[in-house]
Amino acid sequence: MRRYVFRRLLVAIPSLLIASLIVFSLPRLLPGDVVQLMLEEKAYGKDLEDLRAKLGLNRPMYIQYVEWLGQVARGDLGESLWTRRPVLEELTRRLPISLELGVLALAFAIVIAVPIGVLAAIRQDTLADYAMRSMAILGLSVPGFWIATLCVLLPAIWWGWSPPIQFTAFTVNPWAHFAQFLLPAFILGIASAAAIMRLTRGTLLEVLRQDYVRTAWAKGLRERVVVVKHSLKNAMIPVITVLGIQVAQILGGTVIFESIFGLPGMGRFLFDAINQRDYPVIQGVNLLIVSVVVLMNLIVDAFYAFLDPRIRY
Amino acid sequence: MDQPTSSLTRRDLLKLGGTALAVGATAAAATPGTASAQTPKHGGTFRLRSHVAPVHFDPHQTIAFSTMIPLSFAYSRLVKVKGGSAVVPGTQPVENDLAESWERQGDTVYVFKLKKGVRWHNKPPVNGRELTAEDIKYTYERFLTIKGNGNKTVLEMIDKIEAVDKYTVKFTLREPNAWFIDRLASTTTWIVARESVEQHGDLRKPESVIGTGPWMLQRYEPNVRISFTRHPNYFVPGLPHADGVEIILSSDPAAGFAAFLAGEYDFGPEYGMVIRRSDLDVAQGRIKGLGTRDYIVLFGGITAMKIDQEPFKDVRVRRAFAMADNWHETLETNAWSMGKGLPNPLIPATLKEWSIPIGQLPPEGRALYEFDPKAAKKLLAEAGYPNGLKVPIETTPGYGPDWMDAVQVALRNWKLAGIEGDLKLKEYGAFVTSAVFGKFDKMMLTLRGLTTDPDNYFVNYMPGEPLNSAGVNDPKLTEMIKLQRRTFDEKKRRDIVWDIQRYASQTVYYAYGPSVSAVGAWMPYVKNFGPNIGHDYGGRLMVAWLDK
Repeated sequence: MRRYVFRRLLVAIPSLLIASLIVFSLPRLLPGDVVQLMLEEKAYGKDLEDLRAKLGLNRPMYIQYVEWLGQVARGDLGESLWTRRPVLEELTRRLPISLELGVLALAFAIVIAVPIGVLAAIRQDTLADYAMRSMAILGLSVPGFWIATLCVLLPAIWWGWSPPIQFTAFTVNPWAHFAQFLLPAFILGIASAAAIMRLTRGTLLEVLRQDYVRTAWAKGLRERVVVVKHSLKNAMIPVITVLGIQVAQILGGTVIFESIFGLPGMGRFLFDAINQRDYPVIQGVNLLIVSVVVLMNLIVDAFYAFLDPRIRY
Repeated sequence: MDQPTSSLTRRDLLKLGGTALAVGATAAAATPGTASAQTPKHGGTFRLRSHVAPVHFDPHQTIAFSTMIPLSFAYSRLVKVKGGSAVVPGTQPVENDLAESWERQGDTVYVFKLKKGVRWHNKPPVNGRELTAEDIKYTYERFLTIKGNGNKTVLEMIDKIEAVDKYTVKFTLREPNAWFIDRLASTTTWIVARESVEQHGDLRKPESVIGTGPWMLQRYEPNVRISFTRHPNYFVPGLPHADGVEIILSSDPAAGFAAFLAGEYDFGPEYGMVIRRSDLDVAQGRIKGLGTRDYIVLFGGITAMKIDQEPFKDVRVRRAFAMADNWHETLETNAWSMGKGLPNPLIPATLKEWSIPIGQLPPEGRALYEFDPKAAKKLLAEAGYPNGLKVPIETTPGYGPDWMDAVQVALRNWKLAGIEGDLKLKEYGAFVTSAVFGKFDKMMLTLRGLTTDPDNYFVNYMPGEPLNSAGVNDPKLTEMIKLQRRTFDEKKRRDIVWDIQRYASQTVYYAYGPSVSAVGAWMPYVKNFGPNIGHDYGGRLMVAWLDK
């Protein structure tokens, strides 16, 4: 197992390098020059080259890339071009908020999707199955930001109540802090839940048709034992794989949800940075997201061994 | 006049979601509530929303309104725009702030006597010492000499600043400028403390915000809130009435409106303390006694044409474009205005003291505002385009869906006159760094409305100015613009400004879209508050109070 993890970590290095090249070069390919933007907000069109040199943007791109990579290797993600604040410092403050939202959303997704998927599988082609599958399709097709907007707006119009949209730090009020994540995490989790539910149903149906399951039924075991103990664990392997992919989707979703619910996380930071062409911030946030996704997939792979004893690394 | 350039950047306009077309109903339909007959109450905290966080806190290093609005709570200037429910939105009456009195000596010298006993906020390193004339001198010398101050043009007519004695400051101008006092009342001219600059290197950090204003910056949580607490030694006795101000930073408009309905904010949640007209019924149904007042916003569309190139060399073509644009329809299709608003001549209509009424324009000028595609078609034929013409038109969807709706209305109506617009959409960042500075092929549609200073709207016509995107170089117009700057008699100056607008309506170097009428809104328990254009939120809230 250790060897496997080590090997996977080695494989992750080229992945991260390729990702770093992409996150470094793509923002620079966007039309619109950060130096022009900064001057537009300061002194119209003057000192363009001076500012470019001051920001280190006058050198060839490959030199900038290599220097940035060297900084990253030393644990330094650079400074925001606009505020001159260290990117790492900002990320340290914001990452926990995004992670809290993401983890809660994933938890909601699992808690909703797995039981419903199991129920839909064991009640295949019944009214309940159709209803649950329809709900899943609805969850997949309705945009999360639209549901979020309605959840914020309608209670305010009907009852003069709105969910908390002023961020409360954990140290100030732990319960209020936790409560403000519940609604956005639930809505964010819905789309993932829909995908996981459909997959859970499909894979469980396949497992339920296996010979060893038929044997279990023939032995006279109770339905709960056959489904939960003998079938579900095996059906979970592809679901767990998809969970790893869902992490990336959920992290992407935080950009909009943090804006709607006033959460000062990484998503909002990234959104502002893209508008401002703040290259170090865009690079830093994306590199972090890539790292989290790579790490999550590594954890998922390692988890296979727990689910299926036949898998050995 | 509240001041010029500080206002919105084009990025800020983006964040406003293209509301710029906004309306402008005129009527003061307020629940003017407000106050005059009541006894002010002390205490409480004003809560308002900002959809965008400050860039940073140094007023000499940005022109962003997101910085100037928070600073209006903490800083003072020599003179300021009056606040309160009696002030008519769109007017900018100037009154003394740190100045006890001032006088003009000749055409180019201004002497200010300062109020005595004005104390800085009691924060290190300034520690509540008394404000002196040296502070004024230091501030404006920094303002004029620091690199990167985009607002430098506001006061660049100053030649020399002298601290005559502890409480007397003398300004000598390079040339006469009748807008000087208005410009000192700008929300960019905050008086800053030398010690704070020296300790922090600049004024970008929140802890460097040390002023003499009514509230002190207590805490800044990025992307969350900015909190202010009362300045106990504020130099105006009895003010401010409220103990604190909290600006909640929330970028989502729907969440902002929901929070307003839920009573989380004391003022309309959109920029300018307004609510969308389309939300008005809901808000009035939910909040009994909601205070509202309509006013015309500064923003509006502007069409720039390359006047040194065909087909726009010919004024008849430029006129045809203006005549084929239907400003009524633009307002009707806008969610902010729902049909309410006014057409704009060169000076935005909201600046009612300086903007010429459309009816006062010459016949060719008035015709620009009477939608007439047939007449436009005829003009094109006379100009040599009997079969119409096709023109590339650049704009950005970055101003938001409201803006793009207005663009589509214009394209459709131009088509009725035989003008086929070949729309070229540019990404916002690329657009604001190129097209607005004149880097476009033939024609460009954008937003204007950055300042409350009428004089500043003439920069589009001055040779050599970066924002002169059409490339205007008209010696007669240039001379008229310079002349009004030299004219101190306000009536005569207004006559010249009106003449400029008459002349501009005949030459049509630019065409102007309408401005919407926004609805300023506040909770019933907020007293003596009057919405207005400009970014002096602090000045307006200083005289208001909470009557809960």
